[in-house]
Amino acid sequence: MAAEAGRDPRAWLAVDETAAAFLSRLLSSRPPITLPPPLHRSPLRPGNVVEIAGPSNSGKSHLLLMAAVQCILPKEWEGIYFGGLGRAVMYLDLDCRFDVLRLAQILRNRIAEGCRSAHLRNGDPENDGTKDEFQCSLENTLFSDCMQRFLYARCCNSPEFISALKTVKSQSRREVSSAGIYFVMIDSIGAFYWIDRGSQPARENKGRTLQSITESVVHELRKLLQLQPALVLVTKAPIYGEGTTTANDFNRVSSKYILADSTGLGYSRQEEERTLSNREYMPSIWQSFVTHRINLQVEEAEVPSVLESEVLPVHTSEWVQPYLKTKGKFSIMDDGVSLIQ
Amino acid sequence: MAAAGGGGGGGGRATTSGCGLKRRYSPHDKEEETMNQDQSSKEDWCGRLWNGMDLLKDVTENKHVLPTGLEGIDTLLGGGLRQGQLTEVTGPSSSGKTQVCLHSASHVAVKHMGVVMYLDTSNSFSPSRIATIIDGTNDLSDQRGFDLPHKERLKTMMRSIVCKSVFDIFGMFEVLHQLEVSLLNDKVKSGGRKICLLIVDSISSLLAPIIGGKYPQGRSMMISVAMILKKLAYKHNLSVLVTNHMVSAGNGAVKPALGESWKAVPHVRLVISRVHGSNICTATVLKHTLLASGRTAKFVVPS
Repeated sequence: MAAEAGRDPRAWLAVDETAAAFLSRLLSSRPPITLPPPLHRSPLRPGNVVEIAGPSNSGKSHLLLMAAVQCILPKEWEGIYFGGLGRAVMYLDLDCRFDVLRLAQILRNRIAEGCRSAHLRNGDPENDGTKDEFQCSLENTLFSDCMQRFLYARCCNSPEFISALKTVKSQSRREVSSAGIYFVMIDSIGAFYWIDRGSQPARENKGRTLQSITESVVHELRKLLQLQPALVLVTKAPIYGEGTTTANDFNRVSSKYILADSTGLGYSRQEEERTLSNREYMPSIWQSFVTHRINLQVEEAEVPSVLESEVLPVHTSEWVQPYLKTKGKFSIMDDGVSLIQ
Repeated sequence: MAAAGGGGGGGGRATTSGCGLKRRYSPHDKEEETMNQDQSSKEDWCGRLWNGMDLLKDVTENKHVLPTGLEGIDTLLGGGLRQGQLTEVTGPSSSGKTQVCLHSASHVAVKHMGVVMYLDTSNSFSPSRIATIIDGTNDLSDQRGFDLPHKERLKTMMRSIVCKSVFDIFGMFEVLHQLEVSLLNDKVKSGGRKICLLIVDSISSLLAPIIGGKYPQGRSMMISVAMILKKLAYKHNLSVLVTNHMVSAGNGAVKPALGESWKAVPHVRLVISRVHGSNICTATVLKHTLLASGRTAKFVVPS
């Protein structure tokens, strides 16, 4: 008995694994992901939850489509290097505004660009833009392979959203993990905010208030991530516009600035309004679930594009969590995003 | 991955019973079991998981483009109003929004593309104006009925435009519910012409009075109407056209009404303006799902 009691404490002090083994296990099971710009500044791994916030027309859904194309393209195919991940993407459309033609356009442009650069490298004589039938059929096969890896579901209210998450979880339980879902995208987490806030918490509803619905959503997402580690990308649109304040907010904000001498802080009036409009409206359980945040804005200045007839608006991106001092600038082209400066 | 799509359908019962079977074998997860029984009894997941190729096939086969008959707007929109999408036309008063709606309805009627349902909230629908527009385009392609007299052709075309007056948000919910029920029933019998365009002239006059204030019920009804319209558009291959008005944004500028939450609702948003006294209007794209925004075009409203 004394020997057993003496053996157990030593068993507690035995090493499970070294830090090197732990790090290598982690890096192999959850490798770092590099997303296309402007999301490339922060290192991301499966299990992270990234929230992309910004006003309407600032490019949030476009960034989701770029990341989706990056995920569904294979790393290498028929000798051509694409640099993708070759895994499945689950897109939950709460806004019901997804346009599959836009996804097809971006994917076709990426495939054509990859094939073209491969031909240039091989020094093929026919690089004047004409393609033969064989190459077209190759590109079509790759296109349909990639599109089959893109899964889509649309939801019209919050109970449908929660059921969709449950379905995704049960589907991924049955699938082979190698072709499993690697990115989960939710377009516009705040789509049902007003409906949920406006619904009365009646007893037969089992308390479907905003708070309880957000708790269920976070609960389902956590279970899904436990089962299948994936990167979660979420877009969030603001609820309150620039310059709109309720009476309480106005008093609170103006008194704060009177005390703190706003001119000394160096805020311009535009930035003040933007900080008011970017006010957090999701419940705190969602805010603590999110691990990374990036804000997008559209600038007033414009930059001339390649085509002389159009000027493209400039979008800025700012990493809020983890906080990076520099703001990225980019503009949206037909087949992707081009960084400025 | 194609198996993912095959799991759905049948009102979602296939997938939920799949979940249910798994859950029943693990009775230690009591909370999931009760939630799942709740779910299969309420059957609120009536969708399915699509994959990219299915979506593309559905869009190319079922969702066509309805031209409005006004050339400048058609080029801006990339062909016209797309089925399955909600298009918003906004602009200051007397800038031509109602004319755009009347022209779209007439064009669909003339080309026999289907039935148009026109929900009129401010008594702006004018049958005589529709007749004038149809007469203006009448001597062009009209394959059937060229042996009928002129009045008969006009009658058949105008019969395909159904106009209803709606004066408040509850009337709107009622009309949309009836439309949904009739569309679900019509799926059984084939033949006849199906509705392909739904126009709500001035949805903002229904919604703007209710969304102010500190209670969220007004905005919740706005988002509910928006979701119903988008669901109808997607499921039954309708194109929805709504109009909005402008409010002041401070410093003399104007912005579209209905606030920030509405900006996330339409697929395509256009702003139109008209110089006083002329019938040349300018349209600008505020948002488009496929094409770049910020482009402008001029179009003429024939009088």
